[in-house]
Amino acid sequence: MRRRRAPAAAILALLWLAGCASTGGSRTVALAKPTREVLGNGVVLIVQEHRASDVVALQLWMRMGGRDEAANELGLAHYIEHMLFKGTPTRPPGSIDTMIEGFGGASNAFTSYDTTHYDFVVPVEHLRAGVELLADLATHASFPPDEIDNEKKVVFEEMNLIEDDPEKFLLRRLYEVSYTPHPYGRPLLGQREFIQQLTRPALVDFYRKHFVPKDMVLVVVGAVDPARVRPIVDATFGRIAPATPPPRATPPVPTLDRSRRVDVSRAEQQAYLGLAWKTAPTGSEDIYAVDLLTYILGDSPSSRLNQVVREQLRLVANIDAGYGAFQQAGLVTVTARLESGNLDRAEAAILDVIRRVRTEGVTEAERRRAVITAESSYAFDIETAEGLAKTYGQAETTWTLENELAYLTRLRGITAEQIQAVARKYFGDDNYARVRFVPAGATR
Amino acid sequence: MRRAALVILALGLLLAPTAAAAQTRRERLDNGLTVIVRENPVAPVVAVSLLVRMGTWWETPANNGISNFVHAVMVRGTTKRSGAELAEAIAALGGKISASGEVDYSEIRASALSRFWRELLGFTAELALTPKLAPGELDGERDWITGRIQKRRDNATSRAFDEFFAALYGPHPYSQQVLGTPESLRRVDHAALIGWYRRFYRPEQMTLAVSGQVSAGEVLAEARRLFGELPPGGQVTETARPAPANAGARRVIEQPAQQAQILAGGLAPSLDQPDHAAVKVLSTILGGGMAGRLFVELRDKRGLAYTAASYYDPVRDPGALILYLGTAPENATRAEEALRREIERIRTEAVGDEELRRAKGYLLGRYTMDRRTNERLAWYDAFYENEGVGQDYPDRYRKAVEAVTAADALRVAKQYLEKVTTVVLRPR
Repeated sequence: MRRRRAPAAAILALLWLAGCASTGGSRTVALAKPTREVLGNGVVLIVQEHRASDVVALQLWMRMGGRDEAANELGLAHYIEHMLFKGTPTRPPGSIDTMIEGFGGASNAFTSYDTTHYDFVVPVEHLRAGVELLADLATHASFPPDEIDNEKKVVFEEMNLIEDDPEKFLLRRLYEVSYTPHPYGRPLLGQREFIQQLTRPALVDFYRKHFVPKDMVLVVVGAVDPARVRPIVDATFGRIAPATPPPRATPPVPTLDRSRRVDVSRAEQQAYLGLAWKTAPTGSEDIYAVDLLTYILGDSPSSRLNQVVREQLRLVANIDAGYGAFQQAGLVTVTARLESGNLDRAEAAILDVIRRVRTEGVTEAERRRAVITAESSYAFDIETAEGLAKTYGQAETTWTLENELAYLTRLRGITAEQIQAVARKYFGDDNYARVRFVPAGATR
Repeated sequence: MRRAALVILALGLLLAPTAAAAQTRRERLDNGLTVIVRENPVAPVVAVSLLVRMGTWWETPANNGISNFVHAVMVRGTTKRSGAELAEAIAALGGKISASGEVDYSEIRASALSRFWRELLGFTAELALTPKLAPGELDGERDWITGRIQKRRDNATSRAFDEFFAALYGPHPYSQQVLGTPESLRRVDHAALIGWYRRFYRPEQMTLAVSGQVSAGEVLAEARRLFGELPPGGQVTETARPAPANAGARRVIEQPAQQAQILAGGLAPSLDQPDHAAVKVLSTILGGGMAGRLFVELRDKRGLAYTAASYYDPVRDPGALILYLGTAPENATRAEEALRREIERIRTEAVGDEELRRAKGYLLGRYTMDRRTNERLAWYDAFYENEGVGQDYPDRYRKAVEAVTAADALRVAKQYLEKVTTVVLRPR
């Protein structure tokens, strides 16, 4: 799936499962299909040759994220993301970044609700060193006590940073208001008070419990010969002792109604409006139609919300729709920046735009444009090795690789009637959550 | 996320390239417009960057923001179709198109699935050469930009950077913001807008770069057809700008925010000066990546900052080397002291071999990574042409970086960080 404007959770693991399959163009470079193998201990290995440049993307995706935290573990998945880079018994603090950056490579890591992932991009001659490093982090992280304490300040600042960014914070609050008490409503960074008291044993326990081979997916995409990759992975990830992953809970996902509305007073001069409807999770057959509907509603300047609410009515400075599909639930969000005096009218106008889709459906031209937008979004993702690796890792951990590869083909088969049907099924006048940021002192 | 989101600066970030020096073809049309086409078969996409020498550099406080304003009105429609029709037509190509003013140039950028390259190029030409610039659009766009200016002011990081540029550059036009101010935009009427467009949209001022899964021959032929009819207008006369006046002052501002912002830095060489590569290396030693000194010393070892980075973007007039910290208010004083010690240290002690090697590897690695997507490649090709440094610049830059010694780094640190301007934004 192609998700734009993903959920924002604080740490925002962009939720972009991506689409694959043929791109339909006559000059398409034949893109090899990825190979998918399962090692004896359960580690999944996905490899694809991609010779756009002399680099290789190495990504370790864990089938584990914020939703797997118990009530006394909130924020641990994210904290561990920070701590892994602090070293292992053979790699002192700082040496990992120095090594990767000295290669001319880059590293990053993301925590989301269903997954966390650790990414490196390195020149291809460092393939072996990169895989060895990832395997070492996944099994031998040392959690130096001094580093644990220091990192607390860093995480607190990360919290501040999100709060200072009204767009990110709006999505964060919208998820919280929509999902609470389900884990998708939690702040991924955890609560300040809890992080303050975080201890090393809690981190180590969580790490041991969750970093098991059956929950690991290694994605390798780049200027590599796939046959060269497997032996390197066998000698590293293949040696991790098998273990049983902890069971995953599936708490109920709440229904949305008028009780889920929150106004927040903020320092900005402009107001922000966020609405959210509960829609399809990743496993649902409806995701294709919801995806296209989201494009039609609010993906580009030609989308309905942009044309009506921004261009014709001039009620908002900008407006976007996004679809965050997770394993247990999906949320379509509409967010806008506007003058506070227009909050009520803008909300009514958004509801009206959606109502018209329910009653009148979408045009064939809109359907076609949405499919081409999805195709284009995929084509731009695969320009880089890490972009392609991300689509595979995301699909394998929250959906299936097979679905991912068939995605664009499935999307092309969706009719305008099916799009109207999901609008009717999920989008009502009342069944949405709402968060508004109102300038302090503004009168509406 | 390990790294804080990159700040959107007034000056576009130029990181790193080289690599796919693939097949580019360059041609100057008879009317003076330059076309560069890069064949890149990686993915079925195409990107277009049309740069015009028109931007904040040419503006004064009286009309600050006019270059960007012209482009905001431009995308509202052409003589052939409305903005909504244009948006719809572009969406049907799986594409997007946008336009904005920057510091040294203005840009129309567009991208789409490569099988639609001809249509995309057509829309780019239509927008650039026959924009409607209707009087009725000015108010709406002015309001929209004013909203964005307000948003920049509300955001602690962008506000701090804007204040820093104002303090560092003094009378030089780089002290101004690309978006302008609500006051300056109010002074720009329709006649001024049209006049500004006509003054700069001349073929001699323009570079068109195309990168993607295309045939260079076909694209060049189409570019000649679309842009070749534009009559020559002559170069725009350019007078030197007032020299920047870095007073080395420290300014403190307050506004509602969770995070404190600390910026310190000085004037640095322009893109084409011999010291450019050495200052890039210096900037990387201090604030490039998670093994840069600011990150290691201030964030990793002492937890005094969340964001700890340096910025040094290439521009035609003096650049700015900026050391940046985003930190909790209670850490701000200690973070600023630690930053000063790092500045003092880099100006007095030569950097070690290993650290120098790491910095160069990181700098050139980022350059390579940044030169992979077609959007970036098209921009780089047009940018280097626009700045007049030639298409072999990436190779020369790479060699210059590799040649930088520890002595060079020490010398430029002494020179360019001698007088340091500081801006501190404190949460209120």
